[in-house]
Amino acid sequence: MNDVVIIGNGPAAHRLAERLRHHGHEAGLTLLGEEPEPAYHRTLLPHYAAGSLARPSLHLPPVPGARVHLGTVVTAIDRERQRVYAYRHGIETVHRYDTLVLATGARPDVPDVPGLREPGGGPAPGVTTLRTTADCDRMNGGSVVVLGGEPLGVEAASALAARGNGVTLVCPGAHPLHDRVDDVCGGMLTARLEAAGVTVLGAATAVRRTPGHLELSDGTTLSADTVVLCAGVTPDTRLARAAGLDVGAGIVVDDRLRTSDPSIHALGDCAQFDGQTLIGISGAHEQADTLARILTGRPAVHRRVPRILRVRSRAADLSCIGSPADFDRPGTRQITLTDRTRLRYARVAVRDEHVTAAVLFGVPQAIATIGMLHRSDRRLPGDLLGLLLDLPPRPASDSAGASADPVVCLCNHVTRQRLHRAWQDGARTVPALASGTRATTGCGGCGQAVEELCGQWARGTRDLVEETCPALSS
Amino acid sequence: MPRTLVVIGHGMVGHRLAERLLALDTEAAWRVVILAEEPDPAYDRVGLSSYLDGKSKPDLILAGPDFLNDPRVDLRLSCPAVAADRTTRTVGTADGDLIPYDALVLATGSRPFVPPVPGHDRAGCFVYRTFDDLDAIRAAARPGRPGVVIGGGLLGLEAANALRLLGMRAHVVETAPHLMPAQLDPGAARVLHHHVTDLGLRLHLGTATASVDGYPDGSVSGVTLGDGTVVEADVVVFAAGIRPRDELATVLALERGERGGFAVSDRCRTADPHVWAVGECASVEGRCHGLVAPGYRMAESVARQLLGQKVEPFDGTDPTTTLKLMGVNVATFGATRHGEDGAVEAVFSEGTARYAKVLLGPDTGEILGGILAGHTGSPMALAPFLGTRPPADLERLLLPGRPA
Ligand SMILES: Cc1cc2nc3c(=O)[nH]c(=O)nc-3n(C[C@H](O)[C@H](O)[C@H](O)COP(=O)(O)OP(=O)(O)OC[C@H]3O[C@@H](n4cnc5c(N)ncnc54)[C@H](O)[C@@H]3O)c2cc1C
Ligand SMILES: Cc1cc2nc3c(=O)[nH]c(=O)nc-3n(C[C@H](O)[C@H](O)[C@H](O)COP(=O)(O)OP(=O)(O)OC[C@H]3O[C@@H](n4cnc5c(N)ncnc54)[C@H](O)[C@@H]3O)c2cc1C
Repeated sequence: MNDVVIIGNGPAAHRLAERLRHHGHEAGLTLLGEEPEPAYHRTLLPHYAAGSLARPSLHLPPVPGARVHLGTVVTAIDRERQRVYAYRHGIETVHRYDTLVLATGARPDVPDVPGLREPGGGPAPGVTTLRTTADCDRMNGGSVVVLGGEPLGVEAASALAARGNGVTLVCPGAHPLHDRVDDVCGGMLTARLEAAGVTVLGAATAVRRTPGHLELSDGTTLSADTVVLCAGVTPDTRLARAAGLDVGAGIVVDDRLRTSDPSIHALGDCAQFDGQTLIGISGAHEQADTLARILTGRPAVHRRVPRILRVRSRAADLSCIGSPADFDRPGTRQITLTDRTRLRYARVAVRDEHVTAAVLFGVPQAIATIGMLHRSDRRLPGDLLGLLLDLPPRPASDSAGASADPVVCLCNHVTRQRLHRAWQDGARTVPALASGTRATTGCGGCGQAVEELCGQWARGTRDLVEETCPALSS
Repeated sequence: MPRTLVVIGHGMVGHRLAERLLALDTEAAWRVVILAEEPDPAYDRVGLSSYLDGKSKPDLILAGPDFLNDPRVDLRLSCPAVAADRTTRTVGTADGDLIPYDALVLATGSRPFVPPVPGHDRAGCFVYRTFDDLDAIRAAARPGRPGVVIGGGLLGLEAANALRLLGMRAHVVETAPHLMPAQLDPGAARVLHHHVTDLGLRLHLGTATASVDGYPDGSVSGVTLGDGTVVEADVVVFAAGIRPRDELATVLALERGERGGFAVSDRCRTADPHVWAVGECASVEGRCHGLVAPGYRMAESVARQLLGQKVEPFDGTDPTTTLKLMGVNVATFGATRHGEDGAVEAVFSEGTARYAKVLLGPDTGEILGGILAGHTGSPMALAPFLGTRPPADLERLLLPGRPA
């Protein structure tokens, strides 16, 4: 028998259980979850906090045949005897495993700022992190200050503003997502947030909190009935560390998602593979799919997942592929699009016709298509501009409505046709064309173009002209 | 009896005007008196820098023997016009001659602008516009020694390259944060910066010049920048812009444009039907044009009007400009700045090797213009698409040489 015990009942644990059943896992399947809440969509929490989603609609469907213990905290792992010890309502329970999976996720950080923390390290009353339904239930009405310029802060502020209360987003960088997007895009993001009712305060951090008030590094004091901390998360490795497993920033796993103990696996926010941690919800799902195949004896290995950061809120629709450093790698071509009127922005780095990095804002069609092409490692379309701007299909340059007889020498207004006539009349070199038509004798800027035309006519390969320099051919 | 046209200034545009008039004037209705301040006949000022790079004066002179020997031409070198009277229709020269005219064309060009920083008139300070200027720079240049060019526009880069060709270590000081601020945006300038620093130019950007410093004998020792940096220099070249040469507006009692220059209509006419202005000295409906192409269009227009032909009004928008700076192509086509209506900006670039920006209309997406730098497609290939939606292969037109 292969009895599987999963520690944690978050999205990764839930998906794994569901996939194990799907792949025909018949032996025992136990989930031990600290939260009293049945498994739910953690990514939808901001909408629950804002009151736009009711609690039951967050819940994930129960997995048939899985034994789920809610409100159950695992306190120790006995690797030798293959048991885990847990507490529920103060009563210890013991669970035997053949295979153990750690899906303990990540814990939100509580900054060490006077007034934010309780002596025990948790958030003080009137202060909350945003990771669980219980966190959301801690929010009062009244004014809200969200701390943190990362995606979670942006989503939280944007969702909470929908409640109609004053919401202020305080971020350490000059604008939200400062480490991910440049000032132009950051400016648009800020404009969208402000339009949605969020006051954005950049280049500021909290220095002190007193009940109802938050003092900032720039000297201002904000009214803050609730302070929402979105200041980052840390993979929860405590159990693994205590059990003597290899731990870095996360619990170290190999490409079969195995920890340093072959009968213990880890996945989701608590795991570290190939140096990568905190790979987000779709990464957690992919790992769960892979691990379910592995545990049911199917061939599967885990690979690095392309890192796509997605912020989808009422105010902002943003996607980041790769890291900012990827834009400057040698051999990459870049396309940058700025639409200040409609607040659209795109920056895409391309190598060998594949996207290597991107920042996309306010271009939903392109976000979907480019994300899909990136995940499946496929080539970008030739008309990337059309994709980014959502333009209708347009003809290529050789058939577009270009002027039939373009001016080649601007100083002396000599058109292509006139040059061609002179060429047919015997002016077969650039100097001959120059004395016959005056082309190139002004600023000289058209010298190269005239030389090209001359060469192409000389070779009698008009088709080549059409192909390489469409606008110059009539 | 032919009528007399007096042209003041034998520069690129004045010469083109005379040449076109003579060519079009098949009935010999006109004779042309040209008063030239410089000792040489009109020469290719655009190509002036090549005078320090192997070319001689005769290579660059625009007026050929046909022109100089034409009996209808009376070219007076080193003979500036100093006075004029519109009521008697005469021009007075520095030699003391009084020349009557039936038509007068002002083609006096521009003078370099020298900012009034302390020390700007020390021995060792130069400007960059004429053969004489270049002869003086050549005489002062000392290989291996540093020289400073003040101004990072088109002329400043030409001057810096000239110092480089003379073996000097060239520095360029520009107040704006990047080179060629009038034509380029920061992205296109980055391509240029990379290339010219590779060629050895040292750039001091975003800083003004506080003073030109000297040795006790008064000659130049260096330049102090706005941020306090001292740059050693034996030679300082001012290339900080040009101003139209409109001194004669006062003696002729003619109006000046708001920013200087002889005020003329879109057909290059002053308020006096006998007096015209062309080239850089003309303020056409309030705007002066500092490149040769618009000047040539003005010359053509006036030549035709003098022969009674009808002409289209002068169109100051240039579909494209192409410049080659120390081996880097930079070009613009159509509009290059965002208007009030907020164009969409699309930039295609490859490291510091090439850069192409296209502006698109906010509503319909039509191409409004763009800026190119480095190994990009030719602006001629793009100009035909002005006002149309970008073709599907726009990127290939902008950055050719990669698989479609
Ligand atoms: C508000 C919000 C919005 C988000 N939006 C996005 C998004 O848009 N895109 C995206 O990619 N990611 C998003 N994330 C992150 C995403 O939710 C996580 O990547 C994902 O939840 C990871 O799943 P997990 O199961 O590994 O960890 P978790 O969801 O953290 O679940 C771990 C569970 O294990 C339990 N646990 C821990 N220790 C023990 C123990 N000793 N005993 C018993 N139980 C234990 C915890 O209580 C928790 O319920 C968001 C996160 C939040 C909070
Ligand atoms: C180094 C350099 C590089 C350039 N590169 C480019 C380029 O790449 N592309 C481009 O389009 N343009 C370029 N230009 C600008 C271009 O040269 C000018 O636009 C063009 O020369 C203007 O012609 P013009 O006849 O109006 O003036 P000018 O050529 O300046 O001629 C005016 C003439 O009038 C004379 N004059 C003035 N007053 C009197 C008077 N009272 N009596 C008699 N004579 C008088 C002057 O001495 C001068 O000889 C460059 C200029 C320089 C200096």
